[in-house]
Amino acid sequence: MSGNLSHRPPILRRPAGIGGALPALILISLFFVVPVVALLLRSVTEPVPGLQNYAILFGDGTYARVFLNTFLVATVVTAVTVIVAFPVAWMLAIMPPAFGSIVFGIIILSMWTNLLTRTYAWMVLLQRTGVVNRTLMDIGLISQPLPLINNLTGVTIGMVYIMLPFMILPLVGTLRAIDPMTLRAAALCGASPFDAFRRILLPLSLPGIAAGGLMVFVMSLGYFVTPTLLGGTSNMMLAGMIAQMIQSLLNWGLGSAAAFILLLVTMALYALQLRLVGAKRMTGGI
Amino acid sequence: MKLILTGLLAGLLAVTAAHADEMVFTSWGGTTQEAQTKSWAAPFEASSGIKVLQDGPTDYGKLKAMVEGGSVAWDVVDVEMDFAIKAAKDGLLEPIDFNVVPKADLDPRFTTDHAVGSFYYSFVLAWNKGAVPGEPTGWADMFDLTKFPGKRTFYKWSAPGVIEIALLADGVPADKLYPLDLDRAFKKLDTIKPEIVWWDSGAQSQQLIASGEAAFGQLWNGRVFALEQDGADVGASWNQNMTAADVLVIPKGSKNKASAMKFLATATSPKSQAMFAKASGYAPINTAAKAEMPADVVKSLPDAYVDGQIDLDMNYWAENRDKIAERWYAWQAK
Repeated sequence: MSGNLSHRPPILRRPAGIGGALPALILISLFFVVPVVALLLRSVTEPVPGLQNYAILFGDGTYARVFLNTFLVATVVTAVTVIVAFPVAWMLAIMPPAFGSIVFGIIILSMWTNLLTRTYAWMVLLQRTGVVNRTLMDIGLISQPLPLINNLTGVTIGMVYIMLPFMILPLVGTLRAIDPMTLRAAALCGASPFDAFRRILLPLSLPGIAAGGLMVFVMSLGYFVTPTLLGGTSNMMLAGMIAQMIQSLLNWGLGSAAAFILLLVTMALYALQLRLVGAKRMTGGI
Repeated sequence: MKLILTGLLAGLLAVTAAHADEMVFTSWGGTTQEAQTKSWAAPFEASSGIKVLQDGPTDYGKLKAMVEGGSVAWDVVDVEMDFAIKAAKDGLLEPIDFNVVPKADLDPRFTTDHAVGSFYYSFVLAWNKGAVPGEPTGWADMFDLTKFPGKRTFYKWSAPGVIEIALLADGVPADKLYPLDLDRAFKKLDTIKPEIVWWDSGAQSQQLIASGEAAFGQLWNGRVFALEQDGADVGASWNQNMTAADVLVIPKGSKNKASAMKFLATATSPKSQAMFAKASGYAPINTAAKAEMPADVVKSLPDAYVDGQIDLDMNYWAENRDKIAERWYAWQAK
């Protein structure tokens, strides 16, 4: 294959330089690298030079709780997303392509709908006087409205819904690559459907679960809109805390330090993902 | 992320900043800003030929970003008075040119070197009549879970109001509120914390009460007024109503300072203030405005409920803003 490359017309050859990528690189350095450096500088210079902002963040019980809470929410959301997404992905993988593309369309369409609109819709559904509680009370299942909003339940429901496509898409890629014959072979050898799932399907789909799971986890860590609208003040996550430091407390040094920590954690997780799954599989799986 | 966004936003806004014959007015959105647009911006545009662009909601972080970044896109901003006092001290505001803005009739309580009053308001106790058994009569009822069960809503941000309410409910006499006993206030608030739903914008406070999502809460009187005008089934108690003020400021480095000063002159004039009071239910900060207002409007304003009224201490708050905010948000996150 590589030997034939030189015989192709020039347009099909891999470009030798990075000339074509230059606009994107300039854009990223201007609007990402420069602000990140500015952020880092602010975190160690405001209000006075030194590491005091980091000392405050690590030394204060309140901030520790917010950090913990952020990881808790991201973990719960990732776990629930995997459980909900797996059957959908499996169905998509084995469905006839015609049906599959319709279901895909629905999933993609939900991704394209405005995030705020979707989150407000959940508010309308989940609040005490909302559709869910009204219906459950009307049919007599509950006598008091369930607390579905302004708490971890609300955040989890809202975020799982938003994260589902990011889990389903990589998972479908992995599941499609599994030869269905392996499952049939397992059945022929006497494996129950559950055994076939546990010992064949699940291990084979692990790369997809890891890729999707890490993506969902990382995205959840920095989420702002949904936790703010569907969570209570005691479910505050890092992004919400940063916004508060910047907007309400006007303490930009502290806010920058918190944002930088979030960025570091995200990068570390991304590095982990690269090691575990491999960059090729991760980007090619979708 | 947010910081980057703030920076980017400031940059983007600078590109779209107003031209010479335009200026930008920023307020809190909803029914209040609609009333300001109608009562202040429209007549100002007609008389001056300067177009007033509306932006919002007010965001103190954004304001600071604009001033420090040198790309100020807002020319007049409606802010809470304790913030204005602090912001002036931090050098974020232009001094007001009282040669352009007539000062004589402005209520001195809400006039400083760097700010003129916008309107003043009271925090009142409002409730959804369908969701509350009986009638709450004062702040102490908001802490009585047996007599008044259900969710109660308070202002989310660290600002004058909730701390004072907790202390009053705990039996602190109105004239002994300051300096605020924060330990006592938070201890009192702890007793109802699981039942609190926070509102972070006036529109949300209206939605919470009107839908019954919260049975009752601490609301700006103008927002209750608007609900009543809409025919919502709400009640309100003015017992120990607490006054605070919004003021109008010009961020330092405003590119349309001259227009902004003229706008302030119009916005604070007796006629504009009377119009706004009629539309919003908030009280005018121009003492000559009352003569321009119908009697029934005068009767519905905070001025008509001075009996037992408490003035929130803006200077105390400006002084202690950061210290209280830190504890406030830490307590909320618990």
